[in-house]
Amino acid sequence: MQQDSILHFFLILAAISTIVFVFVFFSSWQDDTNNEGVKNALRKRFWFILILLVSLGIFASVTIPKSPYFLFADEVPSKIIHVSAMQYAFLLSEKNIDAKNPVGESIILPSNRLVEFRVTSLDVNHGFAIYNSEMQLITQTQAMPGYVNSLRYKFDKPGKYQVLCLELCGVGHPVMQSTFKVQ
Amino acid sequence: MESLNLKKITSLWIITILVLFVVAIVLGIVMRLNQGEVIKLEPLAFYTNMTTHGITMIGIWFVAGMVSVNYLMERYVKTSYSINLFAFVLTVIGVVILWTCTYIGNFSSGWTFLYPLPLKDSGSAPWATPMYLVALTILGIAWLVWSVSLMAQVLKKYSFSQLLAWQHLKSNPKVETPPFILISTVTLIGVIASLIAAVIVIVLYFAEYFSNGNFVNDALLMKNLTYFFGHTIANEMLYLGVAVIYEIFAEVSGRPKWKTTWYVALAWNCSLVFILTAFFHHLYMDFVQPEGLQIIGQLASYLASIPAVGVTVFTIILAVYRVRIKWSIVNLLFFIGVIGWVIGGLGAVIDATISNNVVLHNTLWVPAHFHTYNAMGNVLFSLAFFYWFSTQHIKILVISNQTLYTMGLLLIGGIGFLIAFYMGGADSVPRRYSTYPSGLASASYLAKIGASFAMLYLGAVLIFFYNISKRCFGILYSSPY
Ligand code: HEM
Ligand SMILES: [Cu+2]
Repeated sequence: MQQDSILHFFLILAAISTIVFVFVFFSSWQDDTNNEGVKNALRKRFWFILILLVSLGIFASVTIPKSPYFLFADEVPSKIIHVSAMQYAFLLSEKNIDAKNPVGESIILPSNRLVEFRVTSLDVNHGFAIYNSEMQLITQTQAMPGYVNSLRYKFDKPGKYQVLCLELCGVGHPVMQSTFKVQ
Repeated sequence: MESLNLKKITSLWIITILVLFVVAIVLGIVMRLNQGEVIKLEPLAFYTNMTTHGITMIGIWFVAGMVSVNYLMERYVKTSYSINLFAFVLTVIGVVILWTCTYIGNFSSGWTFLYPLPLKDSGSAPWATPMYLVALTILGIAWLVWSVSLMAQVLKKYSFSQLLAWQHLKSNPKVETPPFILISTVTLIGVIASLIAAVIVIVLYFAEYFSNGNFVNDALLMKNLTYFFGHTIANEMLYLGVAVIYEIFAEVSGRPKWKTTWYVALAWNCSLVFILTAFFHHLYMDFVQPEGLQIIGQLASYLASIPAVGVTVFTIILAVYRVRIKWSIVNLLFFIGVIGWVIGGLGAVIDATISNNVVLHNTLWVPAHFHTYNAMGNVLFSLAFFYWFSTQHIKILVISNQTLYTMGLLLIGGIGFLIAFYMGGADSVPRRYSTYPSGLASASYLAKIGASFAMLYLGAVLIFFYNISKRCFGILYSSPY
């Protein structure tokens, strides 16, 4: 899972930083009377900033193309699902949802085919987050009143998927859920 | 030199901040206990707690930064005692009204009060939302006046371009802009910008509130404005603490004072821009936001780390590496705080990467990283300043065993509390859930662990609180010699 590699990456970087600081801290205790230290600790250190800039640049150019806005951008979705979020439920439907008389239906999606969710809200901001059968968050978008966010995804595993709300929407926020099936 | 009045008002601020800090930590532990199903609150009670915790914490650590900067600024220019006092009185009034709104009026939309939830929140009293906005207006005005007055005072001594150290970009500058003045200026400009955005949001809210349905705000615009305010103020309060480090770290370590050089000037001028545009990362999951802004968000978030990490952190490391410096609780707190700041910053940069944000946005990863640079970063910067301030005339700045144990407690408690958040984030546990769906297996277990470690953190804070406020009371009741 992506989350696991993120956590490991983070823990490694955090450990390295800690080790550097601890090492620097103990170096200040050793008896090194010759060392007067730097006169002005703010002296230039161009190379350090350069390394930082280059590594951030590499990181950005690798990750930005993987942003959700560009994924499947030039494919045609084989199914479109309309989603209306409201306090405290999600309505999903293959037909347009009428804001005055909103109704949803149960949804079964094909696996390995591109699906587009057109997500909006009828009241406050909500989150539309899709969890797989192991309850891992696999993708999400926001449900914002007055706007439609289009989220594209290809489900590779059949099974039951859950939708949770990921934007505080009132007291019912933690129980606002929905499900759909992928076959 | 600092007047007795300034010392007294600073002491009063510090005591007030620490009292509110202890209370707000207890609210935090209560939330974690509820998520761990150790206690059982109604959802409404949980969300009023959460809102109170968030707004109180942001408020006190922002003013803690302002108090420190105001105090140290007196070394360079005269600051206004009456405006400092005015800010104190209005802050206390604002906090009392906020607590009334949350605990009596059940205002529970989170500290960011994202539009339009406060207008459509069935749980709260009808007066709670307008009154919450009034309280924020009071705080906004008080802090705006305070920031502007500090800017006005430094502008009497330095020109605007000198405040931003532009003369250091050329060779052989005639006037030196102290790093403290440079960073305070950059930060205060950001603070003023963010407070103005807050005022605009509040005005737009009231416009809709009083229009009887004739005027409806644009949700995307409101979200942009809200996070411009919320993100910026939450970041600038850290930079206030950083300004303090530049001013006193070398001094308490018995080292020569740091001086502005061209690249320090350049880095902080750039950061002025990056900090103000990084907030776009809060809207990554709003796909209708123009793509260009999303990418600016990621790049600005990355670049914002350069003056912070590339300059400040490296400077601290160089200032300490193989240099026999005088360690005391003050520079030790600064040093550990910088580690917390770096690690929280790593968590933030990871989350500010759009392709990661898809699976991290609004999970516990978010409170994980911002608690890292607040509870283990900014709080330590401020505690260091509080210690330094309260002990400046008494030479007891040695590291006693008691200090070491307290630090150990703070570290163990803080790290355990944070790891439970990070693991929750990696396990897809949503943030801002009063209780967790049963399918999220690890969620409530991690919450219990987080609550237990947070109690150790609270224990350490209580010891610091006792030591600091004891001396601050001494200053408060001292008479002119
Ligand atoms: C050990 C001390 C602390 C504990 C136990 C604690 C606990 C918590 C908990 C449990 C949450 C809710 C997490 C969720 O979304 O499920 C939270 C949110 C928050 N905390 Fe803390 N916290 C502590 C320190 C701090 C500090 C020092 C700050 C300083 C800025 C802070 C600022 C916030 C903010 C802004 C929120 C977000 C509130 C919202 O979502 O509206 N906390 N905290
Ligand atoms: Cu919700």
